[in-house]
Amino acid sequence: MENIPAVANSPPQINFAEFVKLTIYNEYANVANVTIVTASSSYKEETLPDGVTYTPLGGLLAVGTQQKNLRVTSADTTIALSGISGTVINTVLDNNIRGSLLEVTRGFYNNSDVLSNSAPRFTGIVTSYNIDEDRQQKDNNFTVTINASSYKTVLENRKAGRRTNKESWQSFNSSDSSMNNIYSIATQLFSFGKDKAGGTAGGGGGGGTESVGGDFNANKNQRK
Amino acid sequence: MSGLQTIIDNANGMTINRRKVVGMQITKNEIPRLSTTPTKNPWQISLNMPSSFEYANARALMESIDTLDRTGYQDITFSNNACLNWIFAYQGDLTLTDLNTITVTQFVGNILELNVNLITEPASTIIFKPNDLIQIGTNPYPFTVTEEVLRGSATTVTMTMSRPNIITAAIGSNNITVGNACTFRMFCPNMPVYKLIPGGYTQSNGVTTGNARIEWSNSFDLYEYVGTS
Repeated sequence: MENIPAVANSPPQINFAEFVKLTIYNEYANVANVTIVTASSSYKEETLPDGVTYTPLGGLLAVGTQQKNLRVTSADTTIALSGISGTVINTVLDNNIRGSLLEVTRGFYNNSDVLSNSAPRFTGIVTSYNIDEDRQQKDNNFTVTINASSYKTVLENRKAGRRTNKESWQSFNSSDSSMNNIYSIATQLFSFGKDKAGGTAGGGGGGGTESVGGDFNANKNQRK
Repeated sequence: MSGLQTIIDNANGMTINRRKVVGMQITKNEIPRLSTTPTKNPWQISLNMPSSFEYANARALMESIDTLDRTGYQDITFSNNACLNWIFAYQGDLTLTDLNTITVTQFVGNILELNVNLITEPASTIIFKPNDLIQIGTNPYPFTVTEEVLRGSATTVTMTMSRPNIITAAIGSNNITVGNACTFRMFCPNMPVYKLIPGGYTQSNGVTTGNARIEWSNSFDLYEYVGTS
């Protein structure tokens, strides 16, 4: 486990700044073709151990909370950037911002305001962004908010929604013949030992996991 | 004279705010837990203006204030007013000639190292006292000394400043400016508006030439413009 030296042994005071790096992948098939955007809340440019220089003029307004748990947890965070200069708005509109890698690092300073070490806080993928214009009377401000999710959240976005027909099943496996006869039996009435008129859905089948009794059309419902 | 400088020269109250960005929690057993962020820590000076300006004499000031609006900045100083230059006056023992020989060796974090090799004063000579202003080169960002600095016997002296080095340009071998000769680059995010109220009646040949004084809607809350450093 990685300890953060600056907060070890419960010091009475810590001196820190946030560093945000956004790695935008310009090409789907070329991970080396990236655009890196940085921002920090520090007073000066800093080069962190990742070799990237973080500029303090990047327009960083706020860094959302980052959930830290002992076990791997699905967590989201937000980064708010000033949209006044226009470069940030251009960054999110003219680049493939969704899917970009977002890394938040916390840098720790000593009493002389010199960066002494750093520790990663959040790594995730940008899932969305929004640009807000807040005009009230004579105040007109733009804020660009980037929302990012941890890898675990992204992995949980599984593809779901399989239907009980041939096309749906074969979209996953073209040789799957399980539903080849579904059209021919879709309009058939099945009897499982009880009259339809007196029965209820699922009747006779008992504790069915699917509506195997009664009209098979019920089986057209989407499965998840 | 610039608008903000006129405000400085005529203010009847001044509040200085140099507080840093902190996080503070008091634990259940009343132990403070603190965090700070090393920001550019800009100067914030709030000035209260009297309602004594006669409209007829303040039109240039009003135009300057309107032109600046809430976004324009100006360099201001406390040295050009004989009734005001005691504020931030240099407190050390050196002469201006000696001060002009001092150059910057390095400024890392909030530790400033100055080359005082050409100063031949005794080692006990006080070079700076707490709250003395230092400006480096022509960069309009005053820093204050936090502790008394003696000449000593070395070629350099080291001191802790009020805020870290926010200057991005190279400053090695730069000369320094001290005391009230320093300039502040300020803008006024809340630039007050003015109201004309009756008063200061003047006439010429029976014709009214003025009958209004200027009342400001708020204090002038100046904020250091550190965007270009």
